[in-house]
Amino acid sequence: MSNHKTFRKGGIHPVSNKNASRIIELLPLPMKAILPLSQHIGTPAKAVVAKGQAVVRGQVVAENASFVSSGIHSPITGTVTAIEPMVNPQGKPGMAIVITASHEQHEADEIARCEYWAKLVPGESDRTLSEKTSQDEIRSAIAAAGIVGLGGAAFPTRVKLSLKPEQHPEILIINGCECEPYLMCDDSLMCTYPGRVVEGVELMMKAAGIDRAVIAVEDNKPEAAKALVDALDTAYDIKVEILKTKYPQGGEKQLIEAVTGRRVGSGELPISVGVVVHNVATAFAVWQAVATSMPLIERVVTVTGDIATEQRRNYIAAIGTPLSEFPFTLPDEARVVVGGPMMGKTATRLDAPVTKGTSGITVLGQTRRRPVQACIRCGACMDACPMGLEPYLLSTYGRMQMWAEARSAMVADCLECGACSYSCPSSRPLLDYIRLAKQRIRK
Amino acid sequence: MELFLFTVCILGILGLVGALVLWLTAEKFKVEEDPRIDLVEACLAGANCGGCGLAGCRAFAVKCVEQGSLDGLSCPSSGSDALARIASILGVEAPEEKMRNVAVVRCNGSCASRPRKYVYDGAQTCAIMDGAGVGTTGCSFGCLGCGDCVQVCIFDAIIIDKATGLPVVDTDLCTGCGACVKECPRNIVELRPLGRRERRVWVGCSNRDKGAVARKECSAACIGCGKCMRTCPFGAISVSDNLAYVNPEMCRACGKCLPVCPTGAILASFEVKLPKAETNEQSQNI
Repeated sequence: MSNHKTFRKGGIHPVSNKNASRIIELLPLPMKAILPLSQHIGTPAKAVVAKGQAVVRGQVVAENASFVSSGIHSPITGTVTAIEPMVNPQGKPGMAIVITASHEQHEADEIARCEYWAKLVPGESDRTLSEKTSQDEIRSAIAAAGIVGLGGAAFPTRVKLSLKPEQHPEILIINGCECEPYLMCDDSLMCTYPGRVVEGVELMMKAAGIDRAVIAVEDNKPEAAKALVDALDTAYDIKVEILKTKYPQGGEKQLIEAVTGRRVGSGELPISVGVVVHNVATAFAVWQAVATSMPLIERVVTVTGDIATEQRRNYIAAIGTPLSEFPFTLPDEARVVVGGPMMGKTATRLDAPVTKGTSGITVLGQTRRRPVQACIRCGACMDACPMGLEPYLLSTYGRMQMWAEARSAMVADCLECGACSYSCPSSRPLLDYIRLAKQRIRK
Repeated sequence: MELFLFTVCILGILGLVGALVLWLTAEKFKVEEDPRIDLVEACLAGANCGGCGLAGCRAFAVKCVEQGSLDGLSCPSSGSDALARIASILGVEAPEEKMRNVAVVRCNGSCASRPRKYVYDGAQTCAIMDGAGVGTTGCSFGCLGCGDCVQVCIFDAIIIDKATGLPVVDTDLCTGCGACVKECPRNIVELRPLGRRERRVWVGCSNRDKGAVARKECSAACIGCGKCMRTCPFGAISVSDNLAYVNPEMCRACGKCLPVCPTGAILASFEVKLPKAETNEQSQNI
């Protein structure tokens, strides 16, 4: 038994299957980039380019539409060919900017991009970066780069870091747990660019006005933890905390409890206990924005699952790249999931693009849900629920359309981790109905 | 014998005292209620469907009697006879007989015309299936076929046709309460007037994609070509967002738009008989 910390209530241990290669490769830039205007939580961005307009790599194509919103940049040089509804991976249409690359510029872009990423790997660390840059400069660089939380929820980072001193932020937790099975994008990022991640954390601490930071890594990623420890600078109060592997440790409230022992109340934000949580990939994006003025136009995407071993890889992919551009062969009757198997969503359209929140593409071969059986009142879902809810009850409320009861049974606290559905021996679709109840009470 | 009389007297007095207390209490806490409320409620269908926009039949009756008229109130479930009787109870003139509404399904993507492309194995309700993505077909606007509308219909007026996988409305049973309209996550069900001699024409599609995209997923999709709009002699049809709409106020149910539709997306509640030659001529002219 390890004596590493974890959260107390619930949680499950799904087979991790983190067997993709940790080496990050560059996926060629797409000839056509599709940029949905709503890639983040909050108001969709407002397009600032018109059809037919020429754009260059890194140019702003859409800007903040409100306080909780984020700008979008073009990942390629080319022409705006359309601003129209395009399907998302689930097949639902939403407004998007479509940019088609020009052939001459495409190669130049590709070369510049290879040089840029090649420089990052060994590159000299500039340890004085966060001293040289003022808080306002960091904040405006983050806003200008259109950075959102890269862990999956895609909440605009600018909003999360705009803290006032009276909110008393004490600890910045950097989420490097990556508790989702199969996915390895954060792991490979921490192993490949540990110095950049740590510098990003230093910048974030300054931007948020916090003196203490903890980078949380689960104990199934010892290489990443070691790389980060080696990259730490004693001038800053940054600690690498190794946590016991348990799903869903990457959940904001679970992570805060695991690291600090503090509990965030129902409906409260982490700042109520003096904590701010960000993802490691977000920290890396902040470093990119401040040190190299690179907006968020590329991210690490894991391609993994039931595909050939040599195809399970981590790529740096341009946001807007269609999923079909990734080199993997789809087995028969396979299911493509955008994200991991626990919280990801099944994709039906592979012509849909990678967005800022896409952490991976998981291919699950011949996986179907087992037939639904009656609830046997075993309570496995209650033991698994990390929020201490009663999933069997909430799910029944959802099925019987008892929204008021669902609300008073705290359905809004559910983080949709899927631990209940995973643990149910009768394979009941618990989360499906809970999600429905959550949607209805929000209306 | 003495004991017997004594017992009867004591119990009799106790009973009288009890009755007096109950009578006084009833007098003291009596709720004055207009007797017409009960009468009005008796006229209503008693379905508590919520089609009037109030919390049930009792609430409707209370509101009627309170305002003393039927202005702004109507009960889709009870019909015009009941409303006339209510009007006579209230001592007002019977409201003009309005044509009743019935639900129509704006999707014609049957199993044959809209191939099932994907497997969905989650909870079998439309609301959840819609939240999970596109459904089992490629059309992101069409009917999902799990029957949420069937579940909410308290008049058993909707059933899912096994052959087509689409809901079918029984217009004799449908009262137009609109419960299915509210339930459908894709907003496919619409309330439309029953029509003179029960003749109705509507567009059996909700797809707002571009014609080619819509056509690829479903052979019965409206492609927004506008032929029907140009054919309609009454200007009742409009096309917006690649989807035609028949305005029930202006439509006279002549049925001329049906044969010109290249995908057969326009539906009618009656059989349209037009000579074939005429149809071809029309489509050539356009």
